[in-house]
This record gives sequence, C-alpha cells and structure tokens, in this order.
Amino acid sequence: MAGTLVELTPEQIAAFAADEPSWLFGRRLAALGRVSELPLRQSKQTPLETAPFLAPDLAQAPSVTAGDVPAGVELVDLRTAIQEGQLAVQQHLGRLFTEGESRLQALHLATFAGGAFCRVGRGVELKEPLQLTVELESGALYAPHLLVVLEEGARADLIVELRGGAGAEAAVRGAVEIVLGDNAALNYTEFQRVPGRTQTYWPRRAELGRDAKLHWILADVGARLAVADTRTYLRGSGAEARVLASFFGGRRQHFDFNHVMVHEGQHTTSDIEARGVLQGRARAVYNANSVIRKSAKGASGWQHEHTLMLSDEARADLIPELEISEWEVSAGHAASAGPVDPMQVYYMESRGISPVESRRLIVAGFLASLLQDIPLASVRERIADIFQEKVEL
Amino acid sequence: MARPELIIQGLRVGVEGREIVKGLDLTVRGGEVHAIMGPNGTGKSTMASALMGHPSYEVLGGTATLDGQDILAMSVDERARAGLFLAMQYPAEISGVSNANFLRTALNARRAENDPVPVMQFHRDLKAKMESLQIDQSFAERYVNEGFSGGEKKRNEILQMAVLRPRIAVLDEIDSGLDIDAVKLVASGVSQMLSEDLGVLIITHYQRILNYINPTNVHVMMQGRIVRSGGPELAMELEARGYEWLRQELGIDEPITEEA
Ligand SMILES: Nc1ncnc2c1ncn2[C@@H]1O[C@H](COP(=O)(O)OP(=O)(O)OP(=O)(O)O)[C@@H](O)[C@H]1O
Ligand SMILES: [Mg+2]
Repeated sequence: MAGTLVELTPEQIAAFAADEPSWLFGRRLAALGRVSELPLRQSKQTPLETAPFLAPDLAQAPSVTAGDVPAGVELVDLRTAIQEGQLAVQQHLGRLFTEGESRLQALHLATFAGGAFCRVGRGVELKEPLQLTVELESGALYAPHLLVVLEEGARADLIVELRGGAGAEAAVRGAVEIVLGDNAALNYTEFQRVPGRTQTYWPRRAELGRDAKLHWILADVGARLAVADTRTYLRGSGAEARVLASFFGGRRQHFDFNHVMVHEGQHTTSDIEARGVLQGRARAVYNANSVIRKSAKGASGWQHEHTLMLSDEARADLIPELEISEWEVSAGHAASAGPVDPMQVYYMESRGISPVESRRLIVAGFLASLLQDIPLASVRERIADIFQEKVEL
Repeated sequence: MARPELIIQGLRVGVEGREIVKGLDLTVRGGEVHAIMGPNGTGKSTMASALMGHPSYEVLGGTATLDGQDILAMSVDERARAGLFLAMQYPAEISGVSNANFLRTALNARRAENDPVPVMQFHRDLKAKMESLQIDQSFAERYVNEGFSGGEKKRNEILQMAVLRPRIAVLDEIDSGLDIDAVKLVASGVSQMLSEDLGVLIITHYQRILNYINPTNVHVMMQGRIVRSGGPELAMELEARGYEWLRQELGIDEPITEEA
C-alpha cells in the first residue's frame, strides 16, 4: 500500500506552512518523517483506498462556520488561531495522536489544512450550545483539524455538522482533538451527513482531567465509506465519558467505527452505547474496547451495541473487547444484531400504518434514546427526521 | 355510509400446517355486539388473527368481507384502514415510540397526506379519551405498551379503538387480567362507542363483561367451529354450567386441555 502514498517533499510541506510559525513547520516535517515508518492500522474488513493518502490542497480547506460566540469563548478558524499565536494550539495540536499513531494520522499532521479551534475559558459555563459547520464543496481531499479545549471547570455544548453539496465527491481526512481540564464538562454532538460519494477518515481523540465529563453524541448517516476511530483517555481520577453513537447505512455504504475508552485514573467510568441501522447492502464494522490500565482502581467500563438489520443483504460485524489489567473494576459488554421484530410491524400495521411507515417509527424509536441528550431540539429533530426518511422498503 | 357489515363464510385457518379454524360462519353488523366464548385452544384468537392478517396464520379456505370488500385479499394495514380493528390478546411493545406519536401516525394514515389531523385537536381529543378510560395522562408520552401492566395494555387497546373509530372491532380477551373495576370501565368505554356505525365481536371467557356490554348474540366455539349460537342467556348458562354439557350434547369428546 505504500506505493499509493504520494511522495511529499519538505518543500511541499513548506508551502503548506508558508504563513505558519516555525514550531508548526517543524511538527509537520517531523510528522512527514514518521509517515513511512508507521503501520497502517486499518481493520481487515475495510478496504483501503488511495484517496486519503493524497495531499490536500491548502486552498481546499472546507468552509467552517461558527454560530454566535459568547464571552470567555473562542471559536475560530484554525489558521486564524495559529496566526494569532494561541498558546493552547501550540500546546495541544496533535498531542493526543502520539499514542498508537497510524500512518494516515501522521500524514494528516504533516498536511492538515484548515479546521477550527475552540477554547472555553476557565470556569466559563455556557448556556447556549456552540455550533460549527464543516462544509465540503466539490472534488479534492479535505484535511480539517478540530481542536477543542475546555479549561478547568468550563462547561459547554458543541454541535458539529459535517456536510457537503450533493455533487461533492470528496475525501475527508480530518481529526478531532478534545482536551478537558479538571472538572470541565463537554457535550460534543457530531452529525455526519456528507454526500453519498464521499469517504471520510475521521479519528477523534479526547483527554479528560480529574472529574471531567465528556459525552460524545455521534450520528452518522452520510458517506460511501466512513472510517472513524474514537479514543478517549480518562486520565484524571473520577473522569466520566460516554459514547452515544447512532448510525444508519444504506445502499452500499460502508462504516468502520472503533470506540476505545482508556481508563488511567482511579474511579473513572465509561459507557459506550451504540445503535446502528442497516439496509440495502450496507455494511458496518463496529469495534469497541474498554481498556482499564493497572492504575485505574475502581474503574467501570461498559458497552452495549445493537444493530437493527432492515435487509438480509446488509452485514454487521460487531467486535466488543475488554482489556483489563486491574482487579477492582466493573466492566462488561453486550452486542447483538437482528432484524426488525415482525410482531411490532404487524401490530403497527394492524392500526393502519403502512409497512414502510411502521419501519420508520420502529427505527426512530430504536435510535431515540441516543439522540435525546442533543442539547438543541431543532438539531435533534432534524437528525431524527433524516434517520427516519432514510428507511426504504 | 351504510351500516358496517362483516361477513365470514366457511373460514378455514391453519397454523404451521395444522388446521385450527375449520369452517366458521359469522356475520356482524353495525349496532350488534357478538360474544364468542369457548374453551382454551379452540381457535378463537386464530380466527381473529387471520381476519386481521397476522403473518403466522394461513387462510386455507372461505371468505371474509367487510362492507362487501374482500379483506382477506388486503394487506394488514389496508384492512385496518378499511375499518377493521383488533384489540389483541398480547399486544406488542414498541420501544422509543410514544403512544401519542403512534396514534397520531395511525390516524394520519387514514387521511390524505396534505391533511394531517391538527396537532392541538389531536391532543385534546386524546386527553379526553384517556380521562374517560381513567388512563393517566403520562401514558400519552410513554412508549407503546413498554412496561405496561397487563391491565394497562388492555386499556391502551381500548384507547386506540376509541381514537381510531373502527367500523368493526374484534376484542380478544379484553377483560383478561383486568381488575373488577377495570372490567367495568373498559366495558362501559366500549358501550359508549356503540352505535349503528360500529359492530363489535368480543372474545371472552367470562360472562362478567357482558353485564356491562349487552351482547346481541352469543356464540360458542369448539374445535374450530361455532357449535352453538344464542342470546345473552347462553352466556349465563355457560357461566353456570361450563362447557361439558354442551360437549356431551354435541358428542364432542376432546379433552379441555389439548395443547392449550
Ligand atoms: N402462532 C402459533 N403457532 C403455533 N400454534 C399456534 C399458534 N397460534 C395458535 N396456535 C395453536 O392453535 C390452537 C388455537 O389457538 P388459539 O390461540 O386460537 O386458541 P384460543 O381459542 O384463542 O384459546 P384461549 O382461550 O386460550 O385464548 C392452539 O392449539 C394453539 O396452540
Ligand atoms: Mg385466545
């Protein structure tokens, strides 16, 4: 596969970094140096394509638009943040990718172009959710990087939407990094509905300080091929993380999702709840892992995955794992995949509801619990509607 | 519209290759209340399920028409929209779907796409009907039948009937699992709906519910057929004497507990 990799020279990297500070140029070069040595870390059920290994065009940074930003908060284009010399950017950018870095991630760190930076200051508690839209236009490869930093005691809701014009046949090789200080709390909602010919490679990383709280609310409906790898490091004692992941694949969509919780601090708790719906010839490869390190006394890590199969030709591979190196913990997982209960459909039809509408309601009901924590009703309802309307019969 | 009319002739129904209903004739018209009684396992629910179109039951012969339309040729949802309603012995639970949303979807399925029932009006109507069945208002937002007690499920079935206003309602053991007061409540709920525009078929094991819904006709079903029909006095007699005398009279020697 190495042959598919575009040979990038330091000069090309310099072009990327033309108006960037030298520390960043140094990091880009170092990342480029690691590219050829690192393993691919691609799951064997998911075909590896060439597009994500191309170099993005700087001019092709996706447009990132943010809603209103209150006092004590910064939410800006990543380039702007870099130019402004934001210390937090220098401090954190790429840091969470050091552990278990893959070749693609190193390439991303060498060539990321655009993205967003969000910082919520110490003790700032936001009442209204922050909103961010990453919009793809036509063609090309996008490589945005989102960096979110909540300082000690900050509280916020952030809603990110990835979308694009219907004609876009893009590839996205992006990254999300979230750093939560002690006692910080973030509700991170991400709605991925890029056009049906797009491929996305979208690793997410988070680091939680003492008593920090993170909810990942992830809803995936778009893309031809979506590969996402979410890794949360519960470093401080008492940290708490949840993943609420919903997805709906149809036609020949292929999803490859991996959710990992890494417990390092004592009495850290995590919970992964994933629900997927598949129809047509869609396929989902779903991995989850709760890693409890030796230091994490009193940790608890749970996983529940369920996939609803609307067609016989769809396929789900659910691979839950536990990696436990500490005795005093509680952990477990449950995973299942199955068709819609024909008795539910019969019951609904017996009230006059058409077969397709019955399945829509069942799908909506199946996914409802994963969407209920989305802080804005308008966003929640829009996602629910898009899920429902996707049901074909 | 003319009075509703359900006509069943020579209906034969099989389950997993076994014939359960073996030639059943029955006509129910608007304004009539028919009660069907009979020992366990004689095919009462099978008949009701086959009328509604349950996928596990195979119609082997006979006809069933509702207002002259062949309902056996229709899909389940078409039968419902044609005016047939079945209060089920074991209603399904649907997680994540609220009762109110479910009912509103069902009502709108009966209306033109561009003419949905106004939301406020729907909720007002639902609230009133829940009150008259003494169903707590919180049930509107609870998920369909999920975590409902046996009696709550039965009441919910009747609530659905009240909202959907069918032309022919088949009530399969709507009184089972209800406490004494609830039987009265559910029965009077059904009674209030009675009119020339509604025909009711009640499957029951107990004469009690018939004290509150006066049946016009009572039938006894055994071995997949109606073996005797009469008026309300027949229900009284069965309550007092059981089925054995009828078996003997008819020369049926099937044990009561067969596979039931
Ligand atoms: N889905 C099914 N699969 C297998 N057998 C069935 C099924 N439904 C009904 N039967 C069988 O058909 C026969 C009639 O059952 P049915 O439920 O119609 O009886 P019933 O008269 O309603 O009895 P009860 O008074 O106990 O409700 C029984 O022997 C039952 O076991
Ligand atoms: Mg029965």
